[in-house]
Amino acid sequence: MDWSAFSLSIQLAFGTLLVLLPMGLLVGRWLARTQFKGRAWLEAAILLPLVLPPTVMGYYLLVVVGGGSPVGQWLQNTWGVSLAFNFSGLLLASVLFNIPFMFQPIQRAFESIPNNLNEAAQVSGLSRWAIFTTVELPLAWPGIVSAMVLTFVHTLGEFGVVLMIGGSIPGETRTLAISIYDSVQSFDLQAAHQMSLALLIFSLVAVATSLLLSGRRMRTVKRAV
Amino acid sequence: MALHIQFQQHKPMSLQGQFSCEAGQLLALVGPSGAGKSSILRLLAGLMRPAHGRIEVGGQVWLDTAKGIFQTPQQRRVGLVFQNYALMPHLSAAANVALALQHLPKSERIIEAVQWLKRVRLSSDESMRRPAQLSGGQQQRVALARALAREPQLLLLDEPFSAVDQMNRESLYRLLAELRTDLNIPIVLVTHDLNEARMLCDKLVVLDQGDVLQEGPAFEVHRRPRNSRVADLVGIQNRFYGAWMGPSETPGLGVLQWTRSLDTQQVTSQNSLQLRTRDKGKIPPGFPVNWVVHADGLALKPEGYNLQRDGFILLPVHVVGHRDLGELSLIDLSMDVAPCEVLKMAVSGAQRLGLKTGARGVVEMDLGLIHIMPKKPHPELAQMRR
Repeated sequence: MDWSAFSLSIQLAFGTLLVLLPMGLLVGRWLARTQFKGRAWLEAAILLPLVLPPTVMGYYLLVVVGGGSPVGQWLQNTWGVSLAFNFSGLLLASVLFNIPFMFQPIQRAFESIPNNLNEAAQVSGLSRWAIFTTVELPLAWPGIVSAMVLTFVHTLGEFGVVLMIGGSIPGETRTLAISIYDSVQSFDLQAAHQMSLALLIFSLVAVATSLLLSGRRMRTVKRAV
Repeated sequence: MALHIQFQQHKPMSLQGQFSCEAGQLLALVGPSGAGKSSILRLLAGLMRPAHGRIEVGGQVWLDTAKGIFQTPQQRRVGLVFQNYALMPHLSAAANVALALQHLPKSERIIEAVQWLKRVRLSSDESMRRPAQLSGGQQQRVALARALAREPQLLLLDEPFSAVDQMNRESLYRLLAELRTDLNIPIVLVTHDLNEARMLCDKLVVLDQGDVLQEGPAFEVHRRPRNSRVADLVGIQNRFYGAWMGPSETPGLGVLQWTRSLDTQQVTSQNSLQLRTRDKGKIPPGFPVNWVVHADGLALKPEGYNLQRDGFILLPVHVVGHRDLGELSLIDLSMDVAPCEVLKMAVSGAQRLGLKTGARGVVEMDLGLIHIMPKKPHPELAQMRR
């Protein structure tokens, strides 16, 4: 078992959650409540990482933020930051790649709250913030948990984009998935087996929990309508 | 604490009109689906802003588009009972009511909420249950308690009785009657049930396609609908066509010719029945009219009845249709003098027992309860009104 890879994966998964959750709440709720022209394009862009091969995304990220690119050079010269082959770059890739896993379930959760509950809260005198915290957030909570679980598990299992932007530097960019690949390449099947099994069980439990919560949410909302 | 509202807009839906409601009065907004009833409630609650309009409640201006005034739902003290109650499914009944008690310190809200729930006859045990664990009638009481807990200056009820059974409905009618005297604020009720509107309300506002067609006491709207559309919308059964023939030989009375259509060319050939009714001098002779006779103006007498009274006309009839509605029957009567016209009446008690298809009788029609409406405002009439 490659504990440094395990620890790096966990750090990456939490980091991704930390960055994506506030964005997901803002954008997901906004998309659930607002109609505008070009909405289909924005939603398509959000879904893009689901259908794009990870290597394509990794490649474009390298092209845009790599050391040779204008953006990469500007980042290096102005802020002294490099995003290729280090943890920050990995985090950026992970955030972009997980956008649909975080945004979609949150958007659906907010969409499933009947609009008249929001109106009833307004008429009862609740401020916008109070409506968000006492009505919308509790009702959307199972969807939000699903989004968090999916994002977390998906980050642990990421491979293509991580390899493209980060390579396999132990302690810096070698995540659990990369480590499994490296173990197989070096015929260390025992380590590959341990890590694969751990990842499999962890993912299964997480996804099952998320499905269970979504089921309960559906029942609650059905009762509300 | 009176309510005055006026509104006008064309998009996204057409809405225009005005009405008012005094404190302690119950006003019913009636009209077909899509008439704009719920939209007007949303205007009043501040959930929708009209292109042009003004809303004043108890001397406070909630909306004045001309002056750029718009109070949000949070700023208006308004209670709204939604059609499907809109209770928060994740909160107990008491917590739902406590939402509307934001003006109290947090610690007092639940205690006060339970008190409000007691007023609408929910026990402390029921107050702690979530909406899904309560019956439809109980959920509705919670919604009502939440609306009242805000101590509103205006109470809005959006088809509140549509989803509860008859027994619950009766007890809710009683509750509403009690609250009405206690609260002394204007109450606006949206309903599609005309009987409910007649029974509960002091005032009717008839809406169609976003327009206020008529406003007035329920009795007045039924007796004197402004036009044939209002007559249809408030469910007046006996509406007929005719032509106004002008003054009769008796001063104060005019001649109404009963016709089969609004085509006045057919007046003489189609029908010989003429009715002598009150002449207000407003309609030019020969003008096509719709006319109605209020149900109170029709009495069914036994066959052979021939007591002639001033202001009444006797019409020999026979029953052509009969529907049993429990404690009363609706009957269709064909007149001997105009076999194609059908008079509709509701009869109850012993009188309805012998009424079968073909049974004969005499209808005594009170000519004073005939109300005549010109087909469309005549230019001369429009000028006179101005």
